[in-house]
Amino acid sequence: MDIFLQQLVNGLTIGSLYALVALGYTMVYGVMKLINFAHGDLVALSAFAGLTIYTNIFSDSGTSIVAVITVFMFTAAIIAVVGVLLERLAYRPLRTAPRLSAVVSALGAGLVIQNAIMLIWGPNMKIFPSNLFPSTIYEINGVVITFTQLMILLFSSVLMIALYLFINKTKMGTAIRAVAIDQDAAKLMGINVNKIIMIIFIIGSGLGAVAGLFIGIYYRGITFDMGWMYGLSAFVAAIIGGIGNIPGAMFGGLMLGLFNALISGYISSAWAETFTFMLLIVVLIFRPTGILGEKVAEKV
Amino acid sequence: MKRMLPKLAASAVVCAALVTAGSAADVIKIGVQAPITGKYANEGQSIDNGVRLTVEQVNAAGGLLGKQLEVVSCDDEGKAQKAAICARKLVNEGVLAVIGSYTSGATEAAQTTYYRNKILQTSDGTSDSLTKHKYWTFFRNSFQNSAQAEFTAKYLVKEKGYKKIVVLSDYSSYAVGLADSAASAIKAEGGNLIYQGKIKSGTQNFTAVLTKIKSMEPDAIYFSGYYTDGGLIRAQQIQLGIKADFIGGDSNDNPDFMKLAGKSAEGTLLVNFPTPDFLPYDTAKEFLKAYQDKYGMPVSSVWAIMNVDGLRAIIHGVEQTKSLDTKTISDYLHTLRDFPGITGPVSFREDGERINTKFNVYEVQADNSYKIINN
Repeated sequence: MDIFLQQLVNGLTIGSLYALVALGYTMVYGVMKLINFAHGDLVALSAFAGLTIYTNIFSDSGTSIVAVITVFMFTAAIIAVVGVLLERLAYRPLRTAPRLSAVVSALGAGLVIQNAIMLIWGPNMKIFPSNLFPSTIYEINGVVITFTQLMILLFSSVLMIALYLFINKTKMGTAIRAVAIDQDAAKLMGINVNKIIMIIFIIGSGLGAVAGLFIGIYYRGITFDMGWMYGLSAFVAAIIGGIGNIPGAMFGGLMLGLFNALISGYISSAWAETFTFMLLIVVLIFRPTGILGEKVAEKV
Repeated sequence: MKRMLPKLAASAVVCAALVTAGSAADVIKIGVQAPITGKYANEGQSIDNGVRLTVEQVNAAGGLLGKQLEVVSCDDEGKAQKAAICARKLVNEGVLAVIGSYTSGATEAAQTTYYRNKILQTSDGTSDSLTKHKYWTFFRNSFQNSAQAEFTAKYLVKEKGYKKIVVLSDYSSYAVGLADSAASAIKAEGGNLIYQGKIKSGTQNFTAVLTKIKSMEPDAIYFSGYYTDGGLIRAQQIQLGIKADFIGGDSNDNPDFMKLAGKSAEGTLLVNFPTPDFLPYDTAKEFLKAYQDKYGMPVSSVWAIMNVDGLRAIIHGVEQTKSLDTKTISDYLHTLRDFPGITGPVSFREDGERINTKFNVYEVQADNSYKIINN
């Protein structure tokens, strides 16, 4: 039983990272009907930027809460700016163009970011220091959970709840939902669509940045091409949950993480991806709009 | 252009020296096929330097069978196509033996050409396939992957006495080959192999497999893959509270392994061929010092001096047989036992395999330095 619980803990940790990244895909899709394939590479960029900030400013300070908060704030801000630039340069000029052009532009932007990372930081693996978070390990009835895992679970749930409240309870959130339903009508109601899209990119990229930093802190080794792997998994998570739907992305991410952990643990890690895509096919056949896709009429 | 002048002058002197040295029949040519430029340039240059140093020493001591040795180098860039061109070039030069190449791929691409032209070849490539043709011209001066597996198995079962051993690899042919050989060798040694599994290289999250392993309560985990995964496996193993020793194959021997594993690196065991600094033999100390004095830098790695050992064995063969007939030398080398090499005793099997190579087990210390723990 504790083996099963341990797999659940492992699965939830990676699942919440998927969920954070999936939110970026789903929010952009909800508002612009565009799959932002460069999102995964933003996640990778965030890990590299965070590592550089940490090693240049705080490398001697060891485990310090100030260092961690500063790194997270700065990195999220940088990645949000890159996200906004990405929208401005790669997507806005194509907003009225056929949707395929925007997708191709997204793929191209992803390649540009990935290769920029390789040119700046080099093709070799870079390694996060191990003392960013304390290496405390908690053990409850044979189930092990590390401080880093706890932080990932805690932080991502807080962010997701905050995002949910922001979208559903605030004036700005209402405006975002309005743009998602009908851009032209929203514009007639006096909503600044460009500003809303910018906010979407800031939030999505910021969440991706947090995920990227957590990936770096949790797994330590980061490579310039890792964005593709995490991006693809998160994209699948967003689709399973119902793309365009925010609770769907959270649900899809957690579900995918758990599913992966259980398949790897009880069948084989080689089969994890095969089963992931089989799950995707099954979901698309029986619920083409995703698991939570139908319940919510408006897509954000 | 100014920089070129000394080089031109030097080569002019060399040419003049060669002309005065007399006709070609008075020299024995030794070929070097190595990646002198490209990705493995430092290894290739080390091989070339090592061979040239050895030849210089032999010539200074009066040469071989009264003749001077001469080195002919060819740069294969570690590529199979270039290796084939080098092979033809060195054959045309009329070399007695070829030292190299560094990579198994480039070696294999040139092997048949040397065999057809009855030219001896010695290489450090570790791929099992290099000796499968049983060419009488070919001598491996390093070790076969399966030799490492046998050593590891014996060490785990006999010396450490582990009772429950887990073998992990990634899906690469090298790691799977090493893991499979290790698994069967562990069984052959009478060890208890409780699980053999594979991880997907680069996925970073190995907790699923490790959690499964945890329930089996192993006392040793052997990983045959590369350091980029090995370091993380070690870190996640400690994180999950699996109290087993971690033993890494030769590809885990990299500083990044320690960085990835962090504090968990301490106590890790790594199996590898001795790095040059750890070679205990007097011949090794002398040679490494001579190399440092001549080139002003240390040998790049153990692979370069493995190749020098191949050359030394061939020279020894010529001296013993007093013959320049390659078949005669080869027959002698196939029976060679415990020739004192730089990297330890050199013995060859009839298929050209170097046997009884010595491995070291390093224990990673708290400061990430190595301590040799086998004898």
